[in-house]
Amino acid sequence: MFSQTQIGALLHEEHLQTIGALQRLEEFLAKQGSKRQPDAAQPEVRKLLEAMLALAAEVDRHYGFEEEHLFTLLSNAGEVGMVGLLTDEHAVIKPLAGELAGQARTALQTGFSAETWRVFHGQGMELCEREIFHIQKEEMGLLAAISMLVEPDEDARLAELYRNLPKH
Amino acid sequence: MFRDFLAGATGRLLPASVPFRFFGAAVIFHLLGWATLVFAADDLPGFLGGPGLVLAALHMMTLGVAAMTAMGAAFQLLPVATKRPLRSVGACKLAFWLFLPGLLLLLWGMAEDHTSAMDAGGSLAVSGLLLFALLVADNLRQVKDMRVVTEHVWVALASLVLLVVLGLVLVADFSLGFLEDHQGVALAHAVIAAYGFMGMMALGFSYILVPMFTLAPQPDGRLGRRSAWLAAAALLLSLAGLVHGIAPLLWLAGLAGLGAVGLHLWTMARIMKGRMKKALGDSFRLIRLAWVMLPLSLIVGLAAASGLAVDRSGPLFGFLLVFGWLLSMLTGVLQRILPFLGSMVSVRPGIKPVLMSKLIAPGALRAHMVCHFAALALVATGIVGAQGLVVRLGAVVGLAGALAFAGFAANLWYKLSRHMNPRPQPAENT
Repeated sequence: MFSQTQIGALLHEEHLQTIGALQRLEEFLAKQGSKRQPDAAQPEVRKLLEAMLALAAEVDRHYGFEEEHLFTLLSNAGEVGMVGLLTDEHAVIKPLAGELAGQARTALQTGFSAETWRVFHGQGMELCEREIFHIQKEEMGLLAAISMLVEPDEDARLAELYRNLPKH
Repeated sequence: MFRDFLAGATGRLLPASVPFRFFGAAVIFHLLGWATLVFAADDLPGFLGGPGLVLAALHMMTLGVAAMTAMGAAFQLLPVATKRPLRSVGACKLAFWLFLPGLLLLLWGMAEDHTSAMDAGGSLAVSGLLLFALLVADNLRQVKDMRVVTEHVWVALASLVLLVVLGLVLVADFSLGFLEDHQGVALAHAVIAAYGFMGMMALGFSYILVPMFTLAPQPDGRLGRRSAWLAAAALLLSLAGLVHGIAPLLWLAGLAGLGAVGLHLWTMARIMKGRMKKALGDSFRLIRLAWVMLPLSLIVGLAAASGLAVDRSGPLFGFLLVFGWLLSMLTGVLQRILPFLGSMVSVRPGIKPVLMSKLIAPGALRAHMVCHFAALALVATGIVGAQGLVVRLGAVVGLAGALAFAGFAANLWYKLSRHMNPRPQPAENT
């Protein structure tokens, strides 16, 4: 929505990819239900679990960049309220994604039991809801703030920095 | 666009109590409106204006639900769209405390045909509305972007001033009787209020809310802006046509209105097509219903303006406009915006933000939606068939839906309060 800046466009592109992944995860979880564990050896399930690992890594990278480079800049420009709100949400979502990634890794090796699937299902649904809501706010708040407050030379520097961040 | 909104959610700009008080009042008036219609059912078929319970029920939905929601949404969303904070939170609260008692007195006066109560209540409600208009106008000044939203809101504010003038003239005419065509002015007042003030707010904020709820790209604002100005022309034509009783002007107004609606719906369809979120739930069934009801209300209005079975097409037009379009749209929006705001204000350091899904009572919302659809069908059938009993049955079903909706709101409030003020855990015995 606010991709007039280079860094805004990069973050927006990642948001689109993340939402796509989350919607696939949510659809699978809803279809499977919490009571019947899937066979983790099935290619479809393996693909989903691998996508979960990639998602958690992407969350880590994306949030890390925002917290380290963007939030400081925006806080200094007076956007303390928004930065505080987004940081608080990061503090909830990041460990949740990390925990799910751990469960996905284990499931890829040993599969799901009824109990591990129930936990994965509940937390997976929670991640989908929290992360989509968070992206909604970033799309409409953070990207707007970037387009208003980040100067072109700073924008180019941040975009370069972000492009060069190693992907997991 | 949402940075002020986000900042506001943490308490820097707009305390959540400001929009919530307007939305809470809207939920209560929604109940009262249907309940009043239960008692006024026999008078609705053939109703063409005048004091009484039907007029009170209509105003509970227009001023009580639609204006309350529009005010709450404007106070919350305008700083978002314009990137400027409102001048005074205290003034927002004052607008509410002028509007609410004024509205209650006005409604009582309408129901009881009590002119002094209508005069006093109308004046108080108008002062609240004008304060709201001043705050919004102040916020809109010098805003250069989001013109698709701000231009709709400007037309809405101009309509507000116009409807206030017309409303005061009508109230004065109840006691002084100076108008040659009271009914024509009353109709102009209704059209300017519903399509002009509340309608333009609803249409304008759709350009923020629909992309936000559906995770869609911002639409091309050009079509939306043309829609706003075409709607403004339609409003002016209808005003002139109704006040002076010139039927061809009403036809022109209707056609311009349909053109404006066509452009708006075309833009909405493009937003929906480009959305990232596919499953949208019951709220969008109501919003889609509203998108059908809006042009339908204009078509029935044109039939009434042509003199086609006016005793049926007239009240049906009012019903489709207020209950069909505005109420469907606003209850659809409210059931999305209340959990959204609830979840937003629950973000605090050390407290895990409450999930929106935890604030929603899907059963209550499904019951509301089913009742709303059924009530619209029944009441519309009752109006067309001139059957008070069918209208009453529809109003009872509508009331059941409003109770379910109030249950959803109460549940949300309870769960949010519990989340924000968790009970202390009992100390372990050692």
